[in-house]
Amino acid sequence: MSQMTEDDIYRTSTQYRLWSFTRESLASLRSTTNASAADGVRAAIRSQRTGHAGSGTAREGSNQKPSDPSKEVDCLTVEEEQKLVGFYCVKAIQFADFCEFPTNVKATAVQYLKRFYLSNSPMTYHPKEMMAAALFLSTKTENHYTSLRSFASKLPKTTPESVVAPEFLLTQGLRFTFDVRHPHRGLEGGVMELLALAHGKGQADPESKRSSEQIQEEMVDIQPAKESSKKSRSADDVVRRIQAAHGKAKEVGKSSALLTDAYFLYTPSQIWLSSLFLADEPLTRFYIDTKIPKPSTLKTKLITTLQACAKLLGSSASANPGEAEIKALTKIDKKLFKCRNPEKVDLVGINKAQKRDSEGTGDNGLDEKVIKKRKMEREKSEKEAEDIFGPTLAKEPK
Amino acid sequence: MAISPVVTYDATSNIKVTATKAKSLAVRTNSISNAPNAPPSKPEKGRELAERLNDETKQKYVKDKKLGEGTYAIVYLGHLRADHSSLLAIKKIKVNTEYRDGLSMDAIREVKHLQELSHPNIIALHAVFSSKNQNLNLVLEYLPLGDLEMLIKDSEGIRYGTAEVKAWMGMLGRAVWFCHENFVLHRDIKPNNLLIAADGEVKLADFGLARSFSDPYRPMTYQVITRWYRPPELLFGARFYSGAVDVWSMGTVFAELILRFPFVAGNTDVHQLELICNAIGTPTEENWPGVSKLEGFLKYDKAATIPVRGKDFYLSKFGTAGPVGVDLLMSMLALDPRKRCTARQVLEHKWWSSDPRPTAKEYLPKKGGGAERMGEDLKRRGGEIEDGRGEKVARKLNFDVGKS
Ligand SMILES: Nc1ncnc2c1ncn2[C@@H]1O[C@H](COP(=O)(O)OP(=O)(O)O)[C@@H](O)[C@H]1O
Ligand SMILES: [Mg+2]
Repeated sequence: MSQMTEDDIYRTSTQYRLWSFTRESLASLRSTTNASAADGVRAAIRSQRTGHAGSGTAREGSNQKPSDPSKEVDCLTVEEEQKLVGFYCVKAIQFADFCEFPTNVKATAVQYLKRFYLSNSPMTYHPKEMMAAALFLSTKTENHYTSLRSFASKLPKTTPESVVAPEFLLTQGLRFTFDVRHPHRGLEGGVMELLALAHGKGQADPESKRSSEQIQEEMVDIQPAKESSKKSRSADDVVRRIQAAHGKAKEVGKSSALLTDAYFLYTPSQIWLSSLFLADEPLTRFYIDTKIPKPSTLKTKLITTLQACAKLLGSSASANPGEAEIKALTKIDKKLFKCRNPEKVDLVGINKAQKRDSEGTGDNGLDEKVIKKRKMEREKSEKEAEDIFGPTLAKEPK
Repeated sequence: MAISPVVTYDATSNIKVTATKAKSLAVRTNSISNAPNAPPSKPEKGRELAERLNDETKQKYVKDKKLGEGTYAIVYLGHLRADHSSLLAIKKIKVNTEYRDGLSMDAIREVKHLQELSHPNIIALHAVFSSKNQNLNLVLEYLPLGDLEMLIKDSEGIRYGTAEVKAWMGMLGRAVWFCHENFVLHRDIKPNNLLIAADGEVKLADFGLARSFSDPYRPMTYQVITRWYRPPELLFGARFYSGAVDVWSMGTVFAELILRFPFVAGNTDVHQLELICNAIGTPTEENWPGVSKLEGFLKYDKAATIPVRGKDFYLSKFGTAGPVGVDLLMSMLALDPRKRCTARQVLEHKWWSSDPRPTAKEYLPKKGGGAERMGEDLKRRGGEIEDGRGEKVARKLNFDVGKS
């Protein structure tokens, strides 16, 4: 006999099957990705140089001494990659807010970015470009479709072409799984249950002998969230307390829950319970007691998990990077400019070429014009990459 | 994982399953630590992990001959490279040159939902891969025995009775229940989207219009579900609706299985509503509180109002289902979506445990093969075009912001 619980449903989800990790497996995946991208960058730069030397004029060749490029190219570390991706996750949230997209669109876009960069490095694909693609894809997958043209017009320096060019890469990096399970719905359900309990209408675990009135009274006596906070005196106070905790937990759900590795490490239920835990621990413990009244290893485990998750959620980088952070990021981006994979800079060009191949026109022989045009596009996007923290992003779209 | 909330009489899975909607705290005791998803093999220079994974997947399958063509895809027969006897359907999404907004909504919806839904009565998606030129390929289970529409229409070649209808409806009911349990609305249930596996199992397919109904406060489009199977609330332009829309479609499929022709087959949306009024009753504030506030509500002449049909009417039309079956049919076709039964209630209905028992799937009538059948099929296809059956009402969606 089996029961289909939320937990069972979650276990069949791709989020569980493909996108759940231990801290160790997550770290190892990221360092593998980083190492392999760095190899790619070095190889590409090497071949570009030898390419130049081989075909180029003597002057060009003599300018560059053949040397070991791996010594010259200073690649990003995993930490630097993480910082950069994290920054663009924040940007994605800000743009989504600017466009007034619903929470799900924004939350899904951020997870798309985080998932994509588990198997891809910013050295290969710049997060600035992936961000727009992720946001646009999530408007489609979360049923909030806006036409590409109007979407692109809302983002600075963005063309419809540049939004969809990386979409294919993105979907491949997402392993063609588009569903993201968020903690929001669970939180709403939990808060509704808590409110029902506070109104004397709720039910505890069936084995518990407490009446709803008893529970209602007990709730008034729950320890205050902080030592400094006032004690509740009435059921109305309890309701206000629940609402306050709800508000705080919701904020966590919109910021640190998205920006940390919470989705990779914990289930949606664990995340919303931990957000509530962070907002009001005694209240959350009370809630858990109504569900699992008796001490058990299961309960101990749950509390331990929630504490760890709450710690992660509480530690998160702010959704609004300060000046020092921006400075550090600018430094990383400068470094990135020198270690970007030159073969993957021009996503629009690559995308066009692939599409062209599919139409069966040119085999591999791109004609001169196309090559020239692509070269120009590439140079243009290299220039743009430089002022990445300049006017494009420093100015808030308000 | 449960495949039905109630006792099933399916020959293969005679398990008692009670799926309580226990709001259990999803406690994953040890799940994270034995999480699947080990990072795949050694890195290979210069090629991204995702690209390699995709190629590995692609290498596993071989495409054979073309099986058919749909609105947005071409379907091929295929097999595993390692096992030539394994049969698969490979659905290659057409690159729509008209559509410049990247991956189309049809494809996204189908992939998104089929990736998540794993159930014996829902077509299985084994893998997704892209070919070099950015085409998406869906590797689906091969369902060689056509669809329910073929069986319904072949009234000379195929005979069936209540026990068979019960078996098919049971499989459909479990599929829809499972979708709803996973917060997915199918929004295009019709006989043509109910494909049949080699062993007779019915599989709900075509999730190109499906969506999740996670947020009850966000409007949705009412331009969904092929007209004959579309419930009155959508015809009235409701933007907030529930799983009840799929239950209505199930009801019309149930009726069609018995009648062997579509129950309410309108030529236009207005005509469709007219036929519903005639067949079931005129929606009024009395039988459906709030209906007059729907955007597209059509006020009917008081004199022309047809009272909601009683059980006698249904018994005269659908008597073969028996009084209990008729009772189920009526509750699926309630005008007011709030009074319509849910997919779970459908499965909990007495009809399933009353006589006759549903036919075991291996004894269900099957689409015949061979040359004679081919002729039939061709005739059917011809007729399809003439009577406008191929019309794709719901395919083109209104993509206004927030209304899909
Ligand atoms: N899983 C499958 N197994 C066998 N044949 C299939 C399968 N899926 C689709 N087909 C065949 O390909 C045709 C087109 O499929 P599809 O694109 O799903 O159709 P539609 O757009 O008409 O809903 C179908 O009519 C059917 O003949
Ligand atoms: Mg179809």
